[in-house]
Amino acid sequence: MIVSSSVAPARRNASATLAMLLADSRLPAGAHVSSNGLEAGLRRGLAASEVADYMRARMTTVVRVEAGAAVIARHLAAAHPDAVMDHLDVLEAEWAARTPSPALREIALALGAGLARIGQVIWPQTAEVLRPRPMPRPIVLGIIAACAGIGPDDLVRLVAYDDAQTVAAAVLKLEPTDPIHVTSWVLDACATLEGSVSELSKLTSPEALPASGAPLIEDWAEVQSVLPRRLFRA
Amino acid sequence: MPEFPAAERSLRLGVAGPVGTGKSSLIALVCRALADEIRIGVITNDIYTDEDARLLRSAGVLDPDRIRAIETGACPHTAIRDDVTANLQAVERLEGDYFPLDLVLVESGGDNLTATFSPALVDAQIFVLDVAGGGDVARKGGPGIARADLLVVNKTDLAEYVGVDVEQMVGDATEAREGGPVLALSRTDDASIAQLREWLLTLLATHRAGAHSPQDPGPMAPHFHADEDGGHVHSHDDVGAPHDHEHERV
Repeated sequence: MIVSSSVAPARRNASATLAMLLADSRLPAGAHVSSNGLEAGLRRGLAASEVADYMRARMTTVVRVEAGAAVIARHLAAAHPDAVMDHLDVLEAEWAARTPSPALREIALALGAGLARIGQVIWPQTAEVLRPRPMPRPIVLGIIAACAGIGPDDLVRLVAYDDAQTVAAAVLKLEPTDPIHVTSWVLDACATLEGSVSELSKLTSPEALPASGAPLIEDWAEVQSVLPRRLFRA
Repeated sequence: MPEFPAAERSLRLGVAGPVGTGKSSLIALVCRALADEIRIGVITNDIYTDEDARLLRSAGVLDPDRIRAIETGACPHTAIRDDVTANLQAVERLEGDYFPLDLVLVESGGDNLTATFSPALVDAQIFVLDVAGGGDVARKGGPGIARADLLVVNKTDLAEYVGVDVEQMVGDATEAREGGPVLALSRTDDASIAQLREWLLTLLATHRAGAHSPQDPGPMAPHFHADEDGGHVHSHDDVGAPHDHEHERV
C-alpha cells in the first residue's frame, strides 16, 4: 500500500509546488554530477552554438522515454498498490530495453538512488517501494509523484525541465556564455515538448513506453563514462 | 535516512585541506598505524580522476575494495557540504559491505582554504596544511584552520628546506584556533605519528561512548568589521551562543 498509507501523516502540497521542489537544482539529490552527456558531446564536436539544438533534440528523443517511464510508474504505483513491485519490474525492463547504453542506465540508477533517499524520508509511504532495490530516476520520480500528489502533466513537464536545466547548468561550466541566453534555451526546449505533454501524461501500460532513444546520445553517454579528466560523471 | 544511532556505526572522519598538503599520505599513515587494530574504510573525492584512490590502493595499506572513489568534479565543495548525497551513499554502502567498520575516512577533493565538511556527512574532521605551503598560512585562518577538530601541520621534515619555523607556525595555528589541537606531523617522525594515533583512538572511544557531537567549522572565515575603534574580528560559529571571550581588538 503506498498511496493510501495511514502510517505517515498526510502532508498536502500542490502538484505545482512539488514539481518545483523536485526540479530545483538545490534539492540535495546529488544530481550535479551529470551534464546529460553534454561534456562528451562538446569533446566529440558539438559546437557551443548548438547546445540549444541539443536540448531540443533530447526533448523529442530520450526525454519522451524518461517522462513516459515516470508517468507509467506513477500510474502503476497508484493502480496496483498490492503488486506494485512486479509491475515496476516490468516497466523497468521496458525502460531498459529503450535505453540501450549501459552508461545511461547506470547514471539513471545513481540519480534514482539520490532521489530515493529524499523520497523515503519526506514521503515515508514510499519507503516500502523505494528501499528494497535501486531504481532508475524516472521510476523513482513516478513513485514519489503517486505518493506526494504530482499530476501526470506536471510530472512530464518536470522531467523535461530538469533535463534541459541539467544541460544548461553544465554548459555554463564547460563553455560559459551569457547565462540569460542559456535560460531562454531551456524554455525553448520545454516548449518543444509541450505539444506532447497530453499524449505522454495519458500513458499507463509499460509496453506503451515510447521507443524514441537517440543513438548519438547513447554514444555520447558511453564516451562520457570513460572520458579522461572529465568534470561530470555523466 | 533511517540508520543506526551514530555511536553504533563507524566513526566518520573527514580529511580536508588544500591540494598537495598530504591528505592522502595522512590517510595512508593512519591506515598503516591502525589497520591491525581497527576496521577501516576510505572514501576519496577527486576532482578529475580517481588518482587518490589509486594511490592509496597501491600503497597496500588496506584491502583495495575498502577504498572507494566518488566523482564530484563540477562541485567538490558541494559534495562535502551542501549536497552530501553521493558521499553519504558511498559511506553507507562501504559500511554495509564491510559491517562492522570502526572508522571511515572521507578525503575531500583537494581544493582551498574554505572547504569544510558538513556534520551531516562526518562526525569529525581534520584540516591539513603543510610547511611547504608557507609558514604564514596558519595565520590567515579560515573555518577549517580555526575550527576543524584537529589541525595538522604536515611535512615538518621539509621545514629546513623551505625556510619555515615549525614552532612559529604551530604557535600561529594554536592562536588562530584559540587553543584547539594542532599537530606537527611528518611521516618520518614516529613520535608525531604516535600522537596522531592517540588523538584518533581517543576520538573513537568518545564516539563509541556516544559522547561526541559533530561540530560545524562554519561556512566562512572570521572576517573584519571596520568601526570607529578600528574594527574587530567576527566569526560566525557562535551565533546566539554566549561569548566566553572578548572579540579581539585590532
